[in-house]
Amino acid sequence: MLKPKLISQVLQQATTGGVKATILLNPEGSLLAFAAQSDRDARIYAAIASNIWTIYSKHCKADVGGLSFLMLECEEGKVAITVVSTMILCLVARDDVELGILKAKSEALTRHLEEPLSKVAGY
Amino acid sequence: MAEELVVHFEKLLTRVDGLLSAVVTDRDGVVLLRATAPNCTPPFTESALGCTFALASDQASKLGLKKNKSIVSVYGTYQLVQFNHSSLITTFVANSSANTGLLLELGSELESVTQVIATALHERQSGAL
Repeated sequence: MLKPKLISQVLQQATTGGVKATILLNPEGSLLAFAAQSDRDARIYAAIASNIWTIYSKHCKADVGGLSFLMLECEEGKVAITVVSTMILCLVARDDVELGILKAKSEALTRHLEEPLSKVAGY
Repeated sequence: MAEELVVHFEKLLTRVDGLLSAVVTDRDGVVLLRATAPNCTPPFTESALGCTFALASDQASKLGLKKNKSIVSVYGTYQLVQFNHSSLITTFVANSSANTGLLLELGSELESVTQVIATALHERQSGAL
């Protein structure tokens, strides 16, 4: 089974260089694990990220392939959202972090977490 | 003026490989301007693009990061790059292999153009009232 503390430690590795929060959540918006400045912030990010993911994933037709990645740019920050197995991974960063590095961190975390999370996806 | 804008947008489609269509809509999804690459059928309903972005952008603005400026969504074979330009929404539909950075830069360049359209619309509405 999964070790929740270890998942948080893995997510913590991405919260460097301007990345404020790294969150793992289910598609309904419930937190599974996070590394963030406060749990209140993590809950807000998780709820909104899952909502936006649902909006865009319902938008696409079957022939364009599923939604694989979202990047949001706001006035004071950037957000990357992607899917890992059946869960959603969300990274929130300051405005001075480039989208490329945010994407690279998301992809690295996805590669690392895909296999262990796939094993529990059926439960 | 409208024809010049359409021509300008059509020229933009040649600047980035894989860019299939550029659409300007209002927040209700009404299409103001459209340019589509020849022999291309965009895979998304254009009016729905604006509504989707408006919903998502409003949500994103509640993250505590101030106002949302743009959203990039990558699907299996396509990507959407959408910009919040005042009351208007600019959407680029491109292949998923197209250069996202170039599309983001293109959107920033177009902000002054869409600002002209937004101002004209606002003046017309004020005159009508």
